[in-house]
Amino acid sequence: MKVKKALIKDIFKEIKKSYKRFISILLMALLGVGFFAGLRASSPDMVESIDTYYKNQNVYDIQVMSTLGLTNQDIEALSNIENVENVYGTYSRDGLIKVEDKEIVSKILCIDDVNKPVLVEGNMPENIDECVVEKSFLEGANKKIGDTIEIEPEKTESTGTTEGEETEYLKNKTLKIVGVAESPLYISRERGNSKLGTGVINYYIYVNRENIHSEVYTEIYITLENREKYQTGSNKYETYVEETKNKIEEIKEERENARYQELIDEANEEITKAEEEFNVEKQNGETQLQEAENKINEGKAQIETGEAEINRNERKANEQFENAEAQIESAKLEIAQNALRLNNEKIEAEKGFQEAENQKAGLQSTLDNINNAIKITNNSIAEKQAELEIAETEEEKTVIKQEIANLQATRQVYETNRQTVQAGIAQINNQIASGRQELQNAEAQIQTAKNELQKQEATLKQTKNTSYAQITKAKKELEDSKQEIAEAEAELEKARAEFDSKIEEAEGKLIDAKEKVSEIERAEWYILDREQNVGYSSYMQDTESIENISVVFPIVFFAIAALVSLTSMTRMVEEERQEIGTLKALGYNKFHIMLKYLIYSSLACIIGGVIGMNIGFQLLPRIVWDMYEMMYTLPEFIVAFNHQYSSTGLGLIYICIVGATLYTILKEVKETPATLLRPKAPKYGKRVLLERVGFIWKRLKFSHKVTVRNIFRYKKRFLMTIIGIMGCTSLILAGFGLKDSISSILPNQYEDICHYDMLVSLKTSLTVEQKERYIEELKQKDGLQEVVQTYMESGTTVKGDNSENLQIVVPNNHEEFDKVITLRDVKTEEPFTLSEEGIIITDKLAELTNTKVGENITVTNAADIEKEMKVVGITENYISHYVYMSKELYQQTFGETYHTNVLLVQDNQLNEEQEKTIMQEMVAQNEVSTVTLTTTTMKTLDDTMSSLNYVVVILIVSAGLLAFVVLYNLSNINIGERIRELATIKVLGFYDREVYDYITRETILLTIIGILLGLVAGYFLNFYILGTCEINILRFEKIVHPVSYFYAAGITLVFSIIVNIVTYFALKKIDMIGSLKSVE
Amino acid sequence: MAYIEFKDVCKEYKMGEITIKALNKTNFSIEKGELVVVVGPSGAGKTTALNILGGMDSVTSGDVIVDGKNVAQLKNKALIKYRREDIGFVFQFYNLVQNLTAIENVELATQICKDSLSPEEVMEKVGLADRKKNFPSQLSGGEQQRVAIARAIAKNPKLLLCDEPTGALDYKTGKQILKLLQDTARKENMTVIIITHNAAIAQMADKIIRFKNGTAESIENNQNPIPVENIEW
Repeated sequence: MKVKKALIKDIFKEIKKSYKRFISILLMALLGVGFFAGLRASSPDMVESIDTYYKNQNVYDIQVMSTLGLTNQDIEALSNIENVENVYGTYSRDGLIKVEDKEIVSKILCIDDVNKPVLVEGNMPENIDECVVEKSFLEGANKKIGDTIEIEPEKTESTGTTEGEETEYLKNKTLKIVGVAESPLYISRERGNSKLGTGVINYYIYVNRENIHSEVYTEIYITLENREKYQTGSNKYETYVEETKNKIEEIKEERENARYQELIDEANEEITKAEEEFNVEKQNGETQLQEAENKINEGKAQIETGEAEINRNERKANEQFENAEAQIESAKLEIAQNALRLNNEKIEAEKGFQEAENQKAGLQSTLDNINNAIKITNNSIAEKQAELEIAETEEEKTVIKQEIANLQATRQVYETNRQTVQAGIAQINNQIASGRQELQNAEAQIQTAKNELQKQEATLKQTKNTSYAQITKAKKELEDSKQEIAEAEAELEKARAEFDSKIEEAEGKLIDAKEKVSEIERAEWYILDREQNVGYSSYMQDTESIENISVVFPIVFFAIAALVSLTSMTRMVEEERQEIGTLKALGYNKFHIMLKYLIYSSLACIIGGVIGMNIGFQLLPRIVWDMYEMMYTLPEFIVAFNHQYSSTGLGLIYICIVGATLYTILKEVKETPATLLRPKAPKYGKRVLLERVGFIWKRLKFSHKVTVRNIFRYKKRFLMTIIGIMGCTSLILAGFGLKDSISSILPNQYEDICHYDMLVSLKTSLTVEQKERYIEELKQKDGLQEVVQTYMESGTTVKGDNSENLQIVVPNNHEEFDKVITLRDVKTEEPFTLSEEGIIITDKLAELTNTKVGENITVTNAADIEKEMKVVGITENYISHYVYMSKELYQQTFGETYHTNVLLVQDNQLNEEQEKTIMQEMVAQNEVSTVTLTTTTMKTLDDTMSSLNYVVVILIVSAGLLAFVVLYNLSNINIGERIRELATIKVLGFYDREVYDYITRETILLTIIGILLGLVAGYFLNFYILGTCEINILRFEKIVHPVSYFYAAGITLVFSIIVNIVTYFALKKIDMIGSLKSVE
Repeated sequence: MAYIEFKDVCKEYKMGEITIKALNKTNFSIEKGELVVVVGPSGAGKTTALNILGGMDSVTSGDVIVDGKNVAQLKNKALIKYRREDIGFVFQFYNLVQNLTAIENVELATQICKDSLSPEEVMEKVGLADRKKNFPSQLSGGEQQRVAIARAIAKNPKLLLCDEPTGALDYKTGKQILKLLQDTARKENMTVIIITHNAAIAQMADKIIRFKNGTAESIENNQNPIPVENIEW
């Protein structure tokens, strides 16, 4: 224990004594660990930040989209897949918003439980007439919370059965902005492409789910079970997602077919219905026609029979009339005969009448007699009856009664006689009457016959007339009917033709419909994961760049830390050689002796390391984040204390520093105490190679000779100085080079390649005439020099897993186009001309897709038409990717007619104010959708790129610290090692300045060598860093401006001068007496 | 007035709370061309006195006059100039620059002096003409001390100060070195001051200063200096 106490005391004394050395080792550990841990942690911190963000917002793991939309059955099928936790069907659609004559294309998303947006301000939409927007929308559209926006009605995408009809994707198109939100799906500025407006989505907005009107889901988002266990982007996560994706892949075809079948069935059903209807209609039509025809035929037949009948009737009538007339003639004759005969009979009858009259007169007289007798009898009866009345006795009465009865019987006889006579008279009367009647009848008969005949004659005449009139009329009617039939026939013909054409049309339609059914493309599922989200993937790519950089830098630091501590500790051990010897002689074992140095260096290392990692973890990721915050929107950056990196960093630096100590001390403790107690033999002086080159050596000043010799004497220090300075210079140069490359992008792009000052997008709704008129108008405008017409649309190209967004540019006129955009070969600067043979692509695109001149590239345009196109030129370009093609080639390839939609305008060197005025004038006009000023674009880009200045600052500061620590340390060691020599020359009477020169001449020479080598190394380091942090859409020109070499060298020199000033004072303080007294 | 005069020179070192008086009112004087030997036990203040005389240390009080100049009053740069032009030092441990050859070590001194002697000649004088291109490590202790002496005298100083020049050498070599110093003093008429703890050597001097407890206890003028060859110890 005592030993340990003494040891610890000794260590603290040692630290106090040699605090400079301790601090320099501590600083090396601090820098090494700080940089390592901080830089290494930046990337994981960024990943952790997005991971937390995504977990909090329940962001999808897998996304499924289909060309034919997705249904609830799909959701069900997906839910049954292993590892799938939740399946969300949701909607998104591009929408056009008109704001003050500007067309804004916006992605309309719906609020869901998946990919939840983060509310930044205001409220989430609660009603269907509300929405939230992203922050930049408010600026871009000049709106504020509480304002309303209007979504233009849109047309459906053609999906087989429907095409281009206006649809109601949103039930409510007037939306009130109630808040500002950030979407986890769009963390970068990239919003994707659209078929609407200018083809680029400007913003996203969120609406209430109830506001969406859609039969199918546009996408399905899937979250996986147990995903909280995995960090996004990690291998485990990716494997997990990949596995599940493969499982989805298995049901993909089935679901695709099901959806396809569903649509086909629907369509077929409709067709069948239509067909049925068609058939019924056709049948009806045909029946009607048939009926009409039948009627006509019937009519015709009727006419025919009618005609025949008329003829027959005519004939018959003629015949009948003739007969009738003949009959009448014979009847007339008969009547005449009858009349004659009647006259004869009349005379005879008159004779008979006379006779009868005679008989009658006889009978009359008889009758009168009888009547008298009756009268007397009646009187007798009446008397008797009166007697009866008077008679009193019965007898009398009976006698009277008898007498009355006798009388009555007498009357009866009389009565009967009278009746007979009466009958006789009546008979005669009858005979006469009937005779007369007969005559009369006969007369009447003849008369009647005569009358009849006359009547018949008249009737016949009338009948004849009527008949003939009838016949004539019938004939006329027949003629009319014939006419009618002919008309009906004509009509029928017409109707038939009409029907035929209608049928044909309907049939055509049916065939078309059927064809369309056959044209329904099979559904295709796209199973995507987060990697396909533009924002996410570029973010993750950037974290990789940082990761790459974080590997290089710490290596430089660790290497130098190891070297510096090696020399420091070597020096320390050498200084304490005697103490070690004494301890050894006293009987301490190796371990105890070593312990002091190990603890000393461990303390420096651990203290430095712990301070370093705490600073590093906080500072560096934040600086890195500050840079990336310009490009990404994440609600929160999480700075974590990363145990892995802290322990690795500390471990590595520990190995470097304590390892170096161990190496030195082990060498020393091996020696015997006696050897140790003797001073270490000084390094022998040696002639250097240069001395053999007499003519140079002789010319060197004495002091220079000394310098040369010294440089070669201390090789370790020589190397370390050079490496340290080289590292410093190269880091600074890399920093400046990076800045040069980045800052050259803008001038390169906008001075050498693009010469236009404004990019004017015309409204899509304009007609060709309107456009032409406006362009003419613009050309006449004051201040404008060139107005070049082009067609631009956004497109993509796919190579392997990467898809690059690009802009298809089709100039209207090549000569004009050349004035605003230079197409030229990167190396030879030879200008290109567009032809029908192929397209010209920008160099970065060629590099990313690994395409050479003469090879083909797949280009997908905004309408999703994918075409292989031949590359005939690769042109210089710095920002974004472009594909240039001639009008003819474009039309041939994509089958669309060229129409101008973008004007590239060059002005007469106007200043910004003037340009802005012109821009405002243009925007105010109905024809213009947007105007982008090149100056504005440059400013925005410049702002973004200036964030990269941080890199330069980090590089310079770290390099400076490195240089300082290295140089200071080396200079300390140098003085320490050569203190005797320095004291000697001081005693010899060297002025302070001369002493300083004596020693720093070496340092300066080494510094110069280091700087020169550093400039070379920096050149390459710069390229390496450029390579790791290059952004896909930018081409960094690999240049380093001469002035950067100057800066790098200058800054390094400044650091070494600072160290030299410190050295100057250290040298001044050297105690001559003390240094010379000791045993050498 | 003597060539060199020490007048009431005091030198104190502060070691924390304690003040150590290295020199306490030391007085002595030396004439031009004299060979002086300073003797005394360890810690008597002889080296301190020599360092002050050589402009390597400052006084706490008192005056040090060298050739009419008060060295005690000199400031930094003047002091260096004094060391540079007027003083030659020889140490016990030679203090040669290991990385320079013998003659280069001499040149190191001559290149900063105005009236320096030719390095080659000096090398010849110290008898090392044929070894002048050797590095110190290739020379023996005596040879190295000769180089050190050559380096000191090549500057053609007014004073040659030697602190235990034979301390690290064997008897024979030591004698040769002392002889060289004695010869130099005689031939070049140079004022030479040698510190030694070997009282026997004192006989070779023109003046013997004995130090004790921080003061020059006695100053003895030796009328008959004995050539070194004849001294035995």
